[in-house]
This record gives sequence, structure tokens and C-alpha cells, in this order.
Amino acid sequence: MGTEQVISMKQVCKSYQMGAEKLNVLKSIDFTVNKGEFTAILGPSGSGKSTLMNIIGCMDTMDSGSYQLNSIPIHEAKEKELTKIRNQEIGFIFQNYHLIPTYTVMQNIIMPLLMRGEDRKTAEKECGEVISMLGLSERLRHKPSELSGGQRQRVAIARALCSKPSLLLADEPTGALDQNSGTEVLKLFTKLHEMGNTIVMITHDMNVAKWAQRTVRIVDGEMFEGN
Amino acid sequence: MRFSEILNLVKLNLIQNKFKVLLTSIGIIVGATTIVIVIAVGRGGKADVAEQFRNLNAGALDISYEQAQGSGGFSFGGSRPSSVGSSSGSRPDFSGSFSMPGGGEMPSFSGSRSGGSSSGGSGEKSSRGSGFFSGFGSMFGGIFGGGSDTKNTERITLSADDMEDITSYVPGLSDATISYTVKQNIYGGNIEETESYTVAGTLSNYAELSNLTMLFGDYLTDADNENKTKVCVLGYSTAKQIFGSAEDAYDSLVYIDDRPYTVGGVLAEQGSVEAGISADEAIFIPYATGIKYLTGSEISPTITVIAADVDNIEAVRENVKTVLAASYPNAEFTISDAGSKMEAANKSNETLTLMLIAMASIVFIIGGISIMNVLFVSVKERTEEIGILKAIGGSRRDILLEFIMEACFISLIGGIIGVMLSFVINPVLSGFSIRTEMSVSGAVLALAFSIVTGTVFGFYPAWKASKLVPVEALSSE
Repeated sequence: MGTEQVISMKQVCKSYQMGAEKLNVLKSIDFTVNKGEFTAILGPSGSGKSTLMNIIGCMDTMDSGSYQLNSIPIHEAKEKELTKIRNQEIGFIFQNYHLIPTYTVMQNIIMPLLMRGEDRKTAEKECGEVISMLGLSERLRHKPSELSGGQRQRVAIARALCSKPSLLLADEPTGALDQNSGTEVLKLFTKLHEMGNTIVMITHDMNVAKWAQRTVRIVDGEMFEGN
Repeated sequence: MRFSEILNLVKLNLIQNKFKVLLTSIGIIVGATTIVIVIAVGRGGKADVAEQFRNLNAGALDISYEQAQGSGGFSFGGSRPSSVGSSSGSRPDFSGSFSMPGGGEMPSFSGSRSGGSSSGGSGEKSSRGSGFFSGFGSMFGGIFGGGSDTKNTERITLSADDMEDITSYVPGLSDATISYTVKQNIYGGNIEETESYTVAGTLSNYAELSNLTMLFGDYLTDADNENKTKVCVLGYSTAKQIFGSAEDAYDSLVYIDDRPYTVGGVLAEQGSVEAGISADEAIFIPYATGIKYLTGSEISPTITVIAADVDNIEAVRENVKTVLAASYPNAEFTISDAGSKMEAANKSNETLTLMLIAMASIVFIIGGISIMNVLFVSVKERTEEIGILKAIGGSRRDILLEFIMEACFISLIGGIIGVMLSFVINPVLSGFSIRTEMSVSGAVLALAFSIVTGTVFGFYPAWKASKLVPVEALSSE
């Protein structure tokens, strides 16, 4: 493992205005992730872990602090740059898979590459290896609604991997799955980690967090290292 | 994202939602159909006008007289006064601008004339210097007719002499003719029972002035008129109806009011006309023959004069009025020119077309609002999808383009269906005797309108979609 930092957050704060009251969701978070690490962010509901994930994933902005992703200063980036970073640097895996229901498996998987400007044929070719690794070769023409939960999550993982991101960002990846499917997905994460991928997984489940190499806890918007 | 890939996504979404696309595009379908039909009706109307006025000379003025209602029965001085010998009044000078002598002076006409066709039983007048009988006629017309207006109370029958007066004293005329029509019972040829047809009494120059062309034989001659020959020329449709074909009609006999007339010619098909005699449906006989054998004095002829210069037509009209006023001081004649009729018909046609286009535009706006509505609902329904696309790197431009293109294609599909529908509706309109002329420009305009409507009304929902914040869009469910 190298010591190159993929994520470097310093004193990141985020608050929401709830009527007259200001709700501090993230309180001066310092958080780093090295390249190749498999980190779990563990926290109960309402602890701020989803907000943190959204900021890490460049889908939300912070009030203050600094955040660098692969040395790119995200806190200074404009919308257009953030769009590019989401496409090229981050692979999202959501609890509810977030697959487009009208597209086939293949269309869902190659979408990030199409967004990048690649043509369909090249994109399909590039994704071939990942598709076969995830055992989806027989399902490419199916719609998400024709797949099981585990298969859908594998499609979401394939979509995240296809763009060869520097960070895989998983939000409760087993949350919607039964135990067996969940275990399968976590085994897959371990495999991906072993292959050198940097993974940040957000979960409220201690048993899921155990699969990660490193765990950080977030409670009431504050982050603590370890279980 | 490549534009071709955006189009692929659009295609995918449209295919997945065929029924929704069809329902959404109904407004556009109706709008496009309306546009194409409106343009076709407009063009058809224009062609109709052109065709109906085809055999009218643009410089032609039709002069006719209409007696005021209720002034009929008992009048004096109705017929054209015949000038006999020279009059003490000075003759007007028509060589330059037309001017009538003032006061009681009336223009006099040299040479003696027969009384022409008399009507109203008033006989001839020896002089018209005093206007005595005319005055009486007016008076009695007013008393017995019950009318308060002194104009047009007399019974007047325009005659060849009036035509001669006009041609003599009105400058700038290239030709003139006189004609009348009456309904007569006809038999002959294949007709087993008598049928009523329009019989037109005309002079030999009528065919030339009305741009009539012959299919067989020749038109009536001056000799036919002078000798009151029982000869006729049949209109194309009339010939076919009576004899089965134009060829069979030629040189056959047709009986008009039980008297045999030789068919000396058959006209080529002329088409429908807006004004004047409908040549296809008529039987033409010499002017004098008709008066002798058919009508006597019971006719209302129309004098047609042709202005040599179309731009001079208003001056000709005024001069004709003045000449006729000299003969008939208490009469107002109807003088209509073909150009004005044509212009009026074209203007009314254009107004109708504009109204229909305005209607089609309203339909388009409603169609556009319908598209906007459906796209708003679509954006709402697909908020999660938009969130996903943005999360995985979809730019604002990609989202904007995808939704705008969807709107465009929905409109285009609607436009294409609308244009196709108009081609289906077109024959139906023909069934209702509405003349239409379909055109490529109409179809192109309808498609252009459709696309513009889709783009304009699709823009706002698309823009709203592109502005969605990914994290909010993803959590919308």
C-alpha cells in the first residue's frame, strides 16, 4: 500500500437551517483516506454520515474547511469541474442501487463512460472485463426490474468500476439486501480492495464495518478513529 | 456526452413511453394537421378564384340595371329614349377628360335609331330634352310602387343602342358587347323530356371578350345576329348532357322553346366562373334571335365594356355613368368590374386563411402547453433518474439537451402524424366540395411549427431538470 492520499479533509463543517434553528451536521471533520484503503464510516442514523458521503462524493458542498480528492481542491471547484470529478474520480454504489429502470443492464453499466464522451461500442468493450468478473454477462439485456437485489447491486458495482475511479464510494451497499446477498457483495468489496481499489463504505452496521480494513465512527457530526 | 448518445437515450425513452408520447403529441398532431389543411384550403381558394375569374377580362366592366322593388308595374319612360334627329342640346366632348354639360343640356346622339328593345310598354320617345316622360315615370313609380326613392323606379331595358352610346362617347374602350340570359325548356339529342337550361343571347364578340375557346365549330357571327338565324353554340357540359358528347352535339338540332336550332359549335370546357355566364352550362344564341323568338322585350341585358387600359378603369366607370345618366336621369346602374371582384374574392380568401392560421397557432400553443405540462410531470417522475445521471457525471448540458430533444421529437412525431393525417383528411374535404391544394411548403411549415413549439415549450422543464441538485434529486423518492 502506498501512502498517497486519496481523500484529505480538514475541518469540514456543514450545517442546515431548520426553520429558526441551525443544525450542525458535520463539526470540524478531519478525515484522510490513503490510496488502496478500504475504510468504513460507521454511525447511527442521523449522525451525519450520509452528509459526509455526499460531500466526499462531490454531490454536496461544505460550509467551511478544505477537501482535496487526489490533490484536487474540491472546496474550490465549480459545478462543471465537480461533474467531471464525479464522472472520472468517483464510483458510486448506493443502498437502493439507483439504476435507471428503463435502461438495460448494459446501458446502465456503460452510462458513466458515455457521459465521458465515449461511443457506445468502445464503452461496451471497456466494460467487458468488469462485467464478466461480476458474472453479469448473461444479464446484459435485462432490465433492473428483472434482476434480484444482489444482481442489481452487482450491476451498480459494475457501473462504478467501469469508469476506473480512484475512489469507490458505497453508501450502505448491503442495506437493501438479504444476508447472503449482502455477504456476497462484501466479499466482492474485499476482492476489489485486494485488487488495489480505494473504497469508502458508509454503514450503520458494525458487522458490515468489520469487513473493512479500517473503521472510523461518526457520532453527532464528529468523527472518531476506530470502532 | 456525445450528441448521438443523447439521441440514443431520447430514442430509448420515447420507445419505452410510446402511449405517453402519442397522448402528449395530440395537440401538435391537431396543430400540424390544421396548418397543412389551412394552407391547402388557402391555396385551393386562391386557385379557385383564379380559375373562376379566368374567363373574365381584368379590364371588363359589367353594366346592368336593377329596378327597385315595389316600383314595377306602372311606369312610364322605361325604355331607352331614342334620339331622333339632332337635339338642341350641345354634345359633350369626350375627347379628353369626360365632362357632362351642366344644366338641362343633354348629350345628343346623331343619327336616327329604332327604339331598340322596348320594355314597360312606354314606346318610343321623340325627344328627351325635357325628360318629361321620365319624370312621369318616376312620379308614377313613386306613387304606385310605394317607394320613396326616385331612383330606379322605372323599368329600363338596356339595349344595343345604349352600348353604342357608350362606345361612341366613352374614350379608352377597346370593345363592348351586350348579352342576357333566360331560362328555357330544351329538348333534343338524348333528352326524352324537356329540361330547363340557361340560354344566353350574345353578340359575335362575346366569345373573344370572355376568353371562350371552341372545341368544335365556330362561335356565333354578326350575320347570325342580323338575320336572326336559329343557330346555337353549346357549352361543354350542356353538349354532353343533351347529346352524350361534344362531338355528337356538333351540327345536330336542339329545340329551344319548341323551335329547332342548329348546333353550330361546342365550347371547350371552361370550368366554373365567379361572375358572368357559366359557359359550360349554357346555350349561346344570337342576341337578336333570342329577342325575336324567345324573350321579346322581357330581358335584363348586361352591357360589358372593356377598358383598353386596366389602370384607367375608374375613369371609364365614371364616364359610362355619365353617358347613361344622360339617357336615364333617374336610374342608377350597377357597374361592376372583374378586377375588383377578383381582388375582393382574393382578399376575403386571404382573410379566411389568416383566420385559420391564427386558429392553428392557438392549437399549437395549446399543444405546446400540453407538452410543457407532460414534461414537467416527466421531470418530476424522473427526478431520481436525473439525480443518478448527475451523480455519475451527467452535465447540465447533457440533461438539458436530453429533455429538449425529447420535447422536439415528441413534437416532430406529432407533426409527422399530423401531416400524414392531413393527407387522409384532404380527400374528405374534397367530398364536401372544399377545394384544397396540398403543398410541400405546407407540410414543411407544419413540421417547422411543431419543432419550434416543442423546443420553446420544452425548454423550461428541461432547464428545471438540468438545474436539479444531484443529492436532492437522488433523495426525491
